[in-house]
Amino acid sequence: MSDSSNLSPIEKIKTSSHGLRGTLKESLQDEITGAVREDDHALVKFHGMYEQDDRDLRSERAEAKLDKLYSFMVRLRIPGGAITPQQWIAANHIAGDYSTGVIKITTRQTIQLHGILKRNIKPTLQDFNKVNLDSIAACGDVNRNVACSSHPNTSPLHEMVHAYADKISRMLLPKTRAYQEVWLDEEKIAEPESEIDPLYEDRYLPRKFKIGIAIPPDNDVDVLTNDLGLIAIIENEKLIGFNIAVGGGLSTTHGNPNTYARLASVIGFVAGEENVLKAVYEILTVQRDFGNRSDRKLARLKYTFDRMGEDAFKKELESRCGFQLEAPRHFEFTDRKDKYGWQQDHKKRWHYTLFIENGRVLDSEELALKTALFRIAETGKASFRFTSNQNLILSDIDPKDKAVIENLLEEFNLNEHTKNASAIRKNAIACVAFPTCPLALAEAQRYLPALISKIEPLLAKYQLNEQDIVLRMTGCPNGCARSYAAEIGLVGTAYGHYNLHIGGDRQGLRLGDKYRENLDEESILIELDNLFGQYKACRNENETFGDFAKRVILV
Amino acid sequence: MLAGHKLNTILDIVKTSSKEELAWINGYLSGILAGEKGPEILEKPALQKKKITIAFGTETGNSKSVATTFAAKAKSRGIIPKLVSLDQYRLSDLPKEENFLAIISTHGDGEPPEAAKKFYDHIHLNGFTIPKMNYGVLALGDTAYPLFCKAGEDVDQQFQKLGAKRIVPLQKCDVDYEEPAQIWFDQFLQSFDDLTPVHVQEPGIIKKSAGKKTYDGVLLAKTVLNGRGSSKQTFHLEIAAEELDYQPGDAIGIIPENNESIVDEILSQVQANAQQTLVFKNETSTIYELLRSRLNISCLPERIIKQYAAIIDQPVNEIRIALLDLLKTYPMPQPQKFIELVQILEPIAPRLYSISSSPSAHEGEVHITVANDKFFYKEEQRSGLCSEFLSRLPVDTDLKFYVQKNNSFRLPAEDKDVIMIGPGTGIAPFRSLVAEREATGSTGRNWLFFGDHHFTTDFLYQTEWQNWFSTGVLTNISLAFSRDQQEKNYVQHKIIERAAEFFEWIENGAFLYVCGAKQPMSVDVEQTILKVIAEQGKFTVADAEQYLNNLKEEGRYCKDVY
Repeated sequence: MSDSSNLSPIEKIKTSSHGLRGTLKESLQDEITGAVREDDHALVKFHGMYEQDDRDLRSERAEAKLDKLYSFMVRLRIPGGAITPQQWIAANHIAGDYSTGVIKITTRQTIQLHGILKRNIKPTLQDFNKVNLDSIAACGDVNRNVACSSHPNTSPLHEMVHAYADKISRMLLPKTRAYQEVWLDEEKIAEPESEIDPLYEDRYLPRKFKIGIAIPPDNDVDVLTNDLGLIAIIENEKLIGFNIAVGGGLSTTHGNPNTYARLASVIGFVAGEENVLKAVYEILTVQRDFGNRSDRKLARLKYTFDRMGEDAFKKELESRCGFQLEAPRHFEFTDRKDKYGWQQDHKKRWHYTLFIENGRVLDSEELALKTALFRIAETGKASFRFTSNQNLILSDIDPKDKAVIENLLEEFNLNEHTKNASAIRKNAIACVAFPTCPLALAEAQRYLPALISKIEPLLAKYQLNEQDIVLRMTGCPNGCARSYAAEIGLVGTAYGHYNLHIGGDRQGLRLGDKYRENLDEESILIELDNLFGQYKACRNENETFGDFAKRVILV
Repeated sequence: MLAGHKLNTILDIVKTSSKEELAWINGYLSGILAGEKGPEILEKPALQKKKITIAFGTETGNSKSVATTFAAKAKSRGIIPKLVSLDQYRLSDLPKEENFLAIISTHGDGEPPEAAKKFYDHIHLNGFTIPKMNYGVLALGDTAYPLFCKAGEDVDQQFQKLGAKRIVPLQKCDVDYEEPAQIWFDQFLQSFDDLTPVHVQEPGIIKKSAGKKTYDGVLLAKTVLNGRGSSKQTFHLEIAAEELDYQPGDAIGIIPENNESIVDEILSQVQANAQQTLVFKNETSTIYELLRSRLNISCLPERIIKQYAAIIDQPVNEIRIALLDLLKTYPMPQPQKFIELVQILEPIAPRLYSISSSPSAHEGEVHITVANDKFFYKEEQRSGLCSEFLSRLPVDTDLKFYVQKNNSFRLPAEDKDVIMIGPGTGIAPFRSLVAEREATGSTGRNWLFFGDHHFTTDFLYQTEWQNWFSTGVLTNISLAFSRDQQEKNYVQHKIIERAAEFFEWIENGAFLYVCGAKQPMSVDVEQTILKVIAEQGKFTVADAEQYLNNLKEEGRYCKDVY
């Protein structure tokens, strides 16, 4: 429990926010600035958005006596990352009307729009609401978007497991109607009892909370990087329950030795939907009550869990649940990568996984990706599933409709685009970073494609181009693109400089280690050239680059 | 010195008097002190006294201020003045006038001020005479413009044509008009007393004196105030100069230079010798220098075009055209005639820019806010001469300018509230006003109305207004960005949105200022203000107009529009 006299300032903002309302309505009325008021800055996160500014323009705008170019990033709540074609069409229009136009598929299976001016937030959220999409709790100290293994052909039980994402998301939504009142102009409800929130109370969680659900053998969601990971246990073609993994989380702070990246620990197994949901709920209450509320850098569940110790944590959880956790069941992960191209599931429906570099959907000179996806959505014959690798599955296509989609993929060159991308490029992910992320120390999504173009020849030099090496880049140590859980992780330290982490495994069961610090591009390429050379020369049969690095380089 | 009740009476009178009334009182008291007829003036009915109408047509307020001092002086002499602005003058009264003084300024290309337009057009109509009238015309102008005092000249001649008797010659005054105006008025009064016409002389010109001081400035800084992606380009220029003397509300005049490449093109078009010298205004200069920095080549008026047509002996069907375009479209058959052309060209006229700095806050500097005017000529984009000149001017370059006083646009007492309406570059004097009020610790409230195209790119001086708003110097700020939403949204809509508060401020004694485009902005704003007054004050339209007129007369409704 944290010392109440030493609460972080955010804690006070939360408890005095009248159910996350703060002064948001007043902030929207302030004509003189594109920003919201200071305390509301923290509160908008709970409504699914970050206030950002275009960092590229800061100095030139200051010289022009103009304020920073403030805008908002709106992230949707899409449990399991699946939407209808009609919802995609709406997102396409909303992106064009109110944002930069780019739809960004995130590393947690949702989409976000950038560059939304303050006056356009309400129209954006109202238009999304018309197609039953919202951004409630997509950010903030609450349970965020629930991720789930994305590909329907993973298991005949995919649909059943996938449904948990939505159930959990709804169970863990805050009870306040602030979102509806502030953004959707809903009348204030007279009975405040309806807003009493036994889960979040008035203080919410000490920090963000992420939940992922994996269906082995796929670990595309990187389940152990979540605060709470659920691993579906399927025996004899039946879903018997979930292994519970707690304490994952990658964010660290440069120069703060008390912070660390951590994969979740599997602490037990729970059978039956009711008990699974109960366990999930109570893990949040334990974190709510035991998490650190004075130092936000040490507030994630991983620190709570390590401070309490596994036994004490389990004991507290079991007493709250009213049942014991069973021993964890055996599971095996083989891969985290997406299954590109056409796949068929047990119901004979077709799914096409499309490579989208860094999840950025836009029309460029080379590829009319956004137009193509719009045209595909217009057919109404494919649903849209986002993967944790920032790609898109055109999904649930009836065999008789496959040709229609196939023709569009050909017409817009998407099939060729996906086929021709190199293995390293297809398995890479990057966070947003500059120019909008306030935390960015170095570039990520704007830079990684160009860096990969320089890494590809190195791999070719050693005939390693077919290797599915997992390369990830983040612009800061917070780990949105999960660099610490990569075979090659690049973590921004300063503009143009990165720490190089290696030795993570391919399946997502082992983090990498920091191997070199503060490398510029030239040094990165020299190091990688050297590493690839050693890997080519000394690897065991079928040994991945990550395993080789762990076994040989890091010893 | 005064006993309490006397002092109170005086203070009471002073407090409730308009500027004009104070000027009159001042004249009256000076009259008494000078040993002229004193308190009797008030006692005796004015029946035996002569009457005089002093009519003024003003743009910047100079004519009005001259007329006001004349009225006070006339009164002190026992003459009954009727002081009237030409836009308020009843034209049917003209044939009845016996003694009439017109004080009229000239603007732009020889035009009368907007307020005198109706009057000016009327006297140019035929069908009536004004034989009873004795008159005098005082013309205000600026010798920097080619058609110096043209409007005054026209009125003077037209009165004569209509049968009126000129009792004092036309007086043309340059920018430092006060002294010659007073001398002229004394002359008028003398003629008036005699009512015998003085012998007619050629109109005299009082040359500009040291009063219009030219400053040798240096451009310290230049930035574009619009953000990336804006369709607009508004420059903020900071100019340093020594011994600067100006007040918030004033403007500076700058004489731009012509674009070097255009001059070169002209010279090659006519194959002229750039180094050939000519005498222009008693100075010897090369053709190049003349074209570069002395002569207007950017937008020739019709009269020059006509003369050009005569030189090349061929009809030219243009109204306003740049010299280069003229030469290209109607080439000179004989290049040697180019000298003739140079000789008919007129000097470059100065451009006036409202000052956006404050003498107290930005010591030793004068700032201006310049929109880079873009327009199309035959589908080709062009820029206004001076804005383009300033936009090209590098930092650290010398820049000559003079200060153009604007006495009708002054801050009120420090405890008075101020409402400022200034969209676009109309914001310039308000930056000056607010900076001055901040620097001098004024206690009155300040309310700014500003508008432009887009919030993100066109909010001129945004960070400064934010600072003033957060420190409380700026009480209210109402913003209208016209192109951020489907329906156009302008400052007048923001006035309507807060009509009650707006009216309350006025009722509370606030001073209203409007700066920016005359058309359509200032007209729309005025209509809106009238509407707010009528609705909030529950007045008829006529009463609202009277209400606004009263504000004008009290100096509480000031416009600087162009």
